Amino acid sequence: MLVLTRRRGEGVAIGPDIRIVVLGIKNGQVRLGIEAPRTIEVHRDEVCVRIQDENQLAARSPVVPLDVFQRLLRTKMA
Amino acid sequence: MHVASTRFGSMNVPAEALLTFPSGLLGFPDWTRYVMLDHDTDAPFKWLHCVEEASLAFVVIAPVLFNPNYQVTISPEARVEVEGSETDGLSLAVILTIPSDDPSAVTANLRGPLLMNPRTRLCKQLVLTEDYPTRYPVFSAQIHVERGQIPALVEAIPA
Repeated sequence: MLVLTRRRGEGVAIGPDIRIVVLGIKNGQVRLGIEAPRTIEVHRDEVCVRIQDENQLAARSPVVPLDVFQRLLRTKMA
Repeated sequence: MHVASTRFGSMNVPAEALLTFPSGLLGFPDWTRYVMLDHDTDAPFKWLHCVEEASLAFVVIAPVLFNPNYQVTISPEARVEVEGSETDGLSLAVILTIPSDDPSAVTANLRGPLLMNPRTRLCKQLVLTEDYPTRYPVFSAQIHVERGQIPALVEAIPA
């Protein structure tokens, strides 16, 4: 991993069209400004990791016979 | 085309039924081609089955069936990825996680729904900025299931 030290107001350029700037540092939190083309998706990584983990779990879903589901529907919805 | 499935055996699927996720699903970037299978024509959920990997499949459902208030913002980037035009009726599906030991504890991933363009058959898993849970308990909500009243996701192929 490339490690760079930056001060408030300084930034990092990634490729020709992505720029990340340190806007502020307070109480152990860093505020980042991110400039990137609209086609680049930027997300908090914990959200992506949560969805990714859930996808892994969901991919292990068993085939549930329809009558089992219908019974569930009846009991749970009652 | 021939599709192998560890769950359903061997199937023949018309090529025009293919759905393409150009970016794959999160955690599964290498698999981009899927088909939608009817679990059973009366079931509200369907199987999104990968045609490139026999064991890779997800159970999906239209979120409106159990959460009528579910609303998401579709980013312009996502719309571009599925080549959505202004007139395209894009549809949403969410992935269910069904625990093997207790199917009644089924949850829906409302944070990472699947956006589908029925015209281009291009799809994308969204990462929402809205604060929806990845594990929404489906059976705590009122399900509006009536036979024949199930909104179509994308035309499914009977399994």
